[in-house]
Amino acid sequence: MKKLAFLIAVVLLLLVPAHAGAESGKALIENSKGFDGKTVTFQGEIIGVMMRGANAWVNVSDNGYAIGIWCSAENAKNISFTGDYTHVGDTVAVSGIFHMACQEHGGDLDIHADNLIVVTRGREVERTPSLPLVGLSAVLMVVAIFTILWLRYRHKEMEKIVPWPVT
Amino acid sequence: MIPSLTREDLKIIGYNLGRVGNLFSVLMLVPTIVAAAYKEFDIIPHFIAASAVAFILSNLAIYFFHTKNGMELKHAVCVAALVWIFGMLLTAVPLWSTRSTGSYLDANFDTMSGFTTTGLTLIPDIDHLPHSINFFRHYLQFIGGIGIIVVTITVLAKSEMGSVLAFKAEAREEGIRPSVVRTSRMILGIAITFMVLGAVLLAIVGISEGMNVGTSIFDGVAHSMSGFATGGFSTHSQSILFYHSVWYEVVALILIIVGGFNFAFHYTVLSGKRSEVFKNIEIKTFFITLMLSTLIIAAALLFFNVYSSPDTLFRKAFFQAASAHTGTGFATVHPLQMSGVWPNLPQMMIAMIMLLGACANSTCGGIKAIRIGILVKAFFNEIKKTLSPKSAFVREKYHHISDTPLTDTIARGAALIAIGYIFLFFIGTAVTMLYGYGATDSMYDTSSALGNVGLSSGVTSPAMPPGLKVTYIFLMWAGRLEIMAVLALIGFVILALRRGIKR
Repeated sequence: MKKLAFLIAVVLLLLVPAHAGAESGKALIENSKGFDGKTVTFQGEIIGVMMRGANAWVNVSDNGYAIGIWCSAENAKNISFTGDYTHVGDTVAVSGIFHMACQEHGGDLDIHADNLIVVTRGREVERTPSLPLVGLSAVLMVVAIFTILWLRYRHKEMEKIVPWPVT
Repeated sequence: MIPSLTREDLKIIGYNLGRVGNLFSVLMLVPTIVAAAYKEFDIIPHFIAASAVAFILSNLAIYFFHTKNGMELKHAVCVAALVWIFGMLLTAVPLWSTRSTGSYLDANFDTMSGFTTTGLTLIPDIDHLPHSINFFRHYLQFIGGIGIIVVTITVLAKSEMGSVLAFKAEAREEGIRPSVVRTSRMILGIAITFMVLGAVLLAIVGISEGMNVGTSIFDGVAHSMSGFATGGFSTHSQSILFYHSVWYEVVALILIIVGGFNFAFHYTVLSGKRSEVFKNIEIKTFFITLMLSTLIIAAALLFFNVYSSPDTLFRKAFFQAASAHTGTGFATVHPLQMSGVWPNLPQMMIAMIMLLGACANSTCGGIKAIRIGILVKAFFNEIKKTLSPKSAFVREKYHHISDTPLTDTIARGAALIAIGYIFLFFIGTAVTMLYGYGATDSMYDTSSALGNVGLSSGVTSPAMPPGLKVTYIFLMWAGRLEIMAVLALIGFVILALRRGIKR
């Protein structure tokens, strides 16, 4: 029975368009009391994975509103990319029980995932230096060094001038 | 009568600002090492360009304002106040040019928040920030926590007299060692020791909690810098909640509480005087207010049925209370959840302790525990005086490193600073409310900015009105300098406008 329910959930998650029925991170956090203990669907980008034995914590961000997902290590192993400056993280769809203050996890706001599916694989982001900026920074640094040296020289020259004694 | 301003006054201020400016230029080169290590080669030119601009401006100031005259108190106060503005404007350049923030104003907000160890941020996407920019933000908090002047004295000390004045003007009244240069080096030594210890512990916890080694070390270093500095910046939008780890919270708690202690207290205890822990008025006041506020917050959360189990109540209430009271801003509750689900009473309690702050001469802002302790003692002393016969001589003393008689002058000084904070709190709250925010949220974020804390109920966001961003920048700055240096600078400007600048 459990297997059948799981299969139905998987099929539904795959068939339904990406955002349909999924609660936004903002709505879940803001109205956490209303969602407490209910089964919710949440979708977002993976921004952190921490393996904890047979389970794992997966932090999923939806437009900057991130929620911790407690899932099986098996589910977490399917994740290929975690979002950071040089990566777009995998987009995952999660369905599970939402906790405003999880008893098992010290009162943290979390979702205990029954199911976690990678909807879109993440990717690496090419970050190449801007050539005009590299040129500008090099010129500015040279100007800075020459300015310092020239000002030091001028200052030393001025120190050599002995003021005419006032009588 | 206050003497008029002279050109020499401006030269002394400009010359000393230029010297500190050189330090900012060097500081901006350090993140290039992190950028190279993480192969963020596109970020390196931003830091180099910003550093070069700072070098040019600072050395031009040194050249054109060159003077052999040393600083007097009025110059030191102005330099101490202006250094934070100068530093904010210079170090905002890489944040803005890398598009980490939405505008140059937002970048200034973040660098002022960094230097003043506030922790409020307008960065829209922290989770995708480059490592080098993230390192830069945390490292600004570490420098700001120790004190820009302290760092400058340590590196560039020229005259002991000028250093002493600037040191005091930066809201650090106590000397630890006979010379202010030695005191500054001692402060730096204590801070670096705790920072390294914290980084190692946090990295170990991170690894043992299932994070990869690289992220654990980077996050450990970053959170140790912002934790000991009671700054509160985090490498993740979820702050400490990201780790879902009680051990990470415990290490962070130790760091922020230790960071909230007075540097003179650190030195005394590390020198072997362990009894200071139980005798010091500041430490006693801090722990009493921390425990009382934790109890009130936990009771309110229990009463309104937000959390029910005792361990959850204590864990959530104590962490948020300690973070607020030490002026850190680390959180294990999402700001939206706090404003949406937590009742008003615990939110108001947190707003109140944010304004109180921890210890003086530490890395945090706020009124400070020693002043609260002194005011409470002075209050009971007044009652004693009233109840005693006219011929009786009521004398009170307090212990802070050594026994000190509680005089009217000391009590008045503490009251003046407290009144200054309360006055600015009302101004900030009124301005926030004028922009259409609710009373509780306005009080909460104003307290957070003024007390240099960094917790937010949601008011502080990239979408907040520019006028409110400027107001909060001012509050963070005034709060860090304990108001007086800022008021003195305003007086200086008014004097210049009214009487002009004499030759």
